[in-house]
Amino acid sequence: MTHDSARPAGASVSAPATAARYPQRARTFRWSVSDIVVASTLAVASGVIFWGWNLSYHFVGTLFAFYPPVETLVHGMWLFPAALGALIIRKPGAAIYCEMVAASVSALLGSQWGLTVLSSGFMQGLGAELIFLLFLYRRFTLDVAMLAGAGAGLAGGVTYHWIIPMYAYAPLETAIHIGSFALSGAVIAGLLPWLATRGLAATSVLSPLASRRAHQESAFGVGRVRP
Amino acid sequence: MSRPTTTASAGASASEQGVPAARSGTEVHAHRWTWQHADRDAPAVSELDLHIRPGEKVLLAGPSGAGKSTLLHGLAGVLHGEDATSSGRLLLNGLSPEEARGLAGLVQQDPESQVVLSRLGDEVAFAAENLAVPREEIWRRVKRCAAAVGLDEYPLERPTAALSGGQKQRLALAGILAMEPGLLLLDEPTANLDPQGVEQIRDAVISAADATGATLVVVEHRLGVWAEHVDTLIVLQPGGGVSRRVPASAVGEDEQLRAELAAMGLWVPGIDPLQQAADVAGAVGDRWLSARSAARIADAADQVDSPRGVDVLHGADSLHRADLLRGEQLAVSRVSPRKSWRRAAAPAPVLSGVDITVRAGEAVGITGRNGAGKSTLLLTLAGLLARHGGTLCASDQLRGEAASSDPHQWSAGELIARIGMVFQEPEHQFVASTVAQELALSARQAVRPGSGEPLFTPEQVEQRVADLLRRLNLEQLSQANPFTLSGGEKRRLSVGTALAAGPSLLLLDEPTFGQDARTFAELIALLREHLDSGGSLCAVTHDEAFLRALNATEHDVGSLSGSGCGADSGAPSSRPAGAQESGEEATGALRAPEAPAVQAQPSAAGEDGGLPMLRGAKDQSWLGRRNALAKLIALVLVTCALVMTIDWVSSAVVILASFLLLPAAGIRISTFLGRIWPFAVGAVVAVWGTAIAGDESGRVLLDLGFTTVSEGSLALGAALGTRAFAIVLPSVIVFSTTDPTDLADSLAQQLRLPSRFVLGALAAMRLLGLLAQHWTTLGHARRARGLGARGGAGGRLRATLSQAFGLLVQAIRMATRLAVTMESRGFGAGPRTWARPAGFTAADAPVILVGAFIAAAAVGAAMAAGAWNFVWT
Repeated sequence: MTHDSARPAGASVSAPATAARYPQRARTFRWSVSDIVVASTLAVASGVIFWGWNLSYHFVGTLFAFYPPVETLVHGMWLFPAALGALIIRKPGAAIYCEMVAASVSALLGSQWGLTVLSSGFMQGLGAELIFLLFLYRRFTLDVAMLAGAGAGLAGGVTYHWIIPMYAYAPLETAIHIGSFALSGAVIAGLLPWLATRGLAATSVLSPLASRRAHQESAFGVGRVRP
Repeated sequence: MSRPTTTASAGASASEQGVPAARSGTEVHAHRWTWQHADRDAPAVSELDLHIRPGEKVLLAGPSGAGKSTLLHGLAGVLHGEDATSSGRLLLNGLSPEEARGLAGLVQQDPESQVVLSRLGDEVAFAAENLAVPREEIWRRVKRCAAAVGLDEYPLERPTAALSGGQKQRLALAGILAMEPGLLLLDEPTANLDPQGVEQIRDAVISAADATGATLVVVEHRLGVWAEHVDTLIVLQPGGGVSRRVPASAVGEDEQLRAELAAMGLWVPGIDPLQQAADVAGAVGDRWLSARSAARIADAADQVDSPRGVDVLHGADSLHRADLLRGEQLAVSRVSPRKSWRRAAAPAPVLSGVDITVRAGEAVGITGRNGAGKSTLLLTLAGLLARHGGTLCASDQLRGEAASSDPHQWSAGELIARIGMVFQEPEHQFVASTVAQELALSARQAVRPGSGEPLFTPEQVEQRVADLLRRLNLEQLSQANPFTLSGGEKRRLSVGTALAAGPSLLLLDEPTFGQDARTFAELIALLREHLDSGGSLCAVTHDEAFLRALNATEHDVGSLSGSGCGADSGAPSSRPAGAQESGEEATGALRAPEAPAVQAQPSAAGEDGGLPMLRGAKDQSWLGRRNALAKLIALVLVTCALVMTIDWVSSAVVILASFLLLPAAGIRISTFLGRIWPFAVGAVVAVWGTAIAGDESGRVLLDLGFTTVSEGSLALGAALGTRAFAIVLPSVIVFSTTDPTDLADSLAQQLRLPSRFVLGALAAMRLLGLLAQHWTTLGHARRARGLGARGGAGGRLRATLSQAFGLLVQAIRMATRLAVTMESRGFGAGPRTWARPAGFTAADAPVILVGAFIAAAAVGAAMAAGAWNFVWT
């Protein structure tokens, strides 16, 4: 529950001088109000994008009519809030929360999957979340972002076929379906959110958040690059 | 004015006569207080020593960068220490701001990010809930505080989205008064308001402070608004410390003080910023004005002194000044006049019958009350919106070789080379990652009409950029990211991006809103220069000083007949007949200073009910009045039954049941069909997908070589398609009758989901409508930067990506401001109470029972028909 009354460490006292040099170590994993509201806003906005994408997917989907298993090449569009939220908020649960809220909002607005989007939202968020957990919420580099996007796609594919089955494909088609989903996730829900986060950090709107220096971080290393 | 103040002891003893309960004023102490934000080179506030007496009313001033906002945020307890450094102490009644939670209430500048919830009463109750005030007491306070700020004429259910900017600020004040704070903190509360709104919020603040005895600290550029109503003026200096602490009356008397304040860029009553800037620049060679713009300002100041100045200057050609752009009987609206699948009839224009002419070398000011459609008119003149009626004609001089005389028909590149548009919010126009690139983009995008050749050679582009950087005084910042500039710098750059394409006509929307006197003077200098070089301009403005400084012809659209009709669609009929808010209320003015695409929203959302959550009003059908969690449980039951099996029988049962339930949900069958037909299309696609990708079984119906369609795979596809359609129908019914606020209440109180996250998501949902407006405005702004449609596929993709990125920036900007609002109202730091109880009643039982019945019937029918096909085998 959230009624935990503890303020984030360092709210009223000055942060130790070392904090500036090792920002990632000094961080708390408790969500601040800014974290919550920014994550929620990103997620809600993503939900509206889902809604619009859902509607256009009725037509986009027909483009794959010649071979439906590769339709998942564009399904990464349903995964981007997970990595975007995690890369911007950098706190545990951000991927699941953003993906879930985005899915819920699209359901509220009316999606062709009804309430089942909640389970797919949760599973897809979980797929990305596990990757960030694997790196102990310390690494938010391009490779991790793309892995997380792929993880979300993989989890999404598993959900499509075995958790809440929506498809009845033959084994080869199933493998292609899931593989394309993971690939799409890596690009649309990994690379693009990573680029967006860097762009946002450069505008300084992320200054109240842990990702405020994302534009100065190198793409693959842990170190910081001065502009 | 002043009333006897009762003493603390919570609200129970408070009077019921519309006076907020009193708590004696809070005493403020700062002891060598220093705060340095993360990643900044210098502290925002350094070594501050300050004492404010209980009940003292303080006007806090200082040049930009003196740390005024940081101090207010510190007092409000919303500054956080991750990576920031601080020292010294800041005390409220001897307590740290965190310990003194609820003692200080903060009102910020932007009205849009002051509103957390979607209904007026809930909004006032929010802060009291966060402070765990008992429910009965919350509603007593809500009524009292709404009355104290003059919002009691509206029902508590009134959607907050239907309030004007000034009303939103008063609502924010009511929200913090419900905390019964001892300290009222206001951070430029009137900067985004028109003059009428300014006085209303000022009077509401002063009377609330008088009534409660609360201490008041207000930060404002325009000293005249507050000086006569407060006790003390405190001036902060950059780098730390208090440079002045004098009785506020000195603002009108002490000449040396007045000169000091004016030199800081503050608006001092009786001092003309143009004259001031010219004097300062002349006397000391001021560092913030280039010699050239100083001379320009001096010119402008001289011309203002002699009303005929412009005519003297342009004496030669004033007689045969040519028309540039002429609108006759123009009718304008945000909503496209074209019909679409969403809309049967064309929408009514927000403003019609406008005759307006802009002549070469002339400045025109469009004035009129809020919500009259001024911004819409401007966007139409700018060729960004299609006109609804009448004619809009560019003269041959303006048109050049362009194919049409209607600017809306021009390509983006042709447009910007002729008509430049400066949006109210500069950030809407930014698309590049440095200041120099921003200017270069405009120059490169400008094309010669007809031929489509670039207007400027690469060398000329470079030259223009260098030239503009100097004129805008942004040379030092040429490599900075545009979003990181200060407010005044952003304003100059936004004008520069329009000028870079070399337009002869410049259109501006409220260019001086929220700007300090220094930026005002710089802006006038720039515009003066544009006029002197033969250019014209047309601005929507409330600012008398602006009109005077440019010798502008005033064009008042507020007095036109027919204006305002059709703009009323956003104002629910619940408004009392005797509503007092003549000016700002007459149109249900949903005016958002930052995002002017307002009138489009309610009508777009209301007509086809596409986005039920944006409506703000509660659904009054039988199902609409039921508990949200009960509906959710019923929906889960039905969805589970469908998910368990892939067969068409169970799906058919659910589809049938959904149609039978429509009367209970108050949904007309035509409306329902209008909303679900795309899902039927999707279902057919699903049938096809499985038919060709599923395992082959039975007779082969179609052989495509690499795959086949067989009897078995087609049957399976049909079952999946029907199921996909069945799954969506109940959720459409449930969610279109469920209010997000009710759902959030149920999720937090009944399901016990974490309240911080549930309320965070709910607050974010209210931003949806605003985000939609930002999206529209960002789209217009892309075209005004020479990007977008008719710029080829690459240009379109680039415009869409930059529009999406712009929306992300605005979304995060709004969210972080909203977070400050919520936290300053005690959100997220302790146990809370709930003003609206959420629980089951006997009437909710049928909802769950019907859900269970439909689920059971679906499963039973499938089994009886032998179609049951369990998925997890």
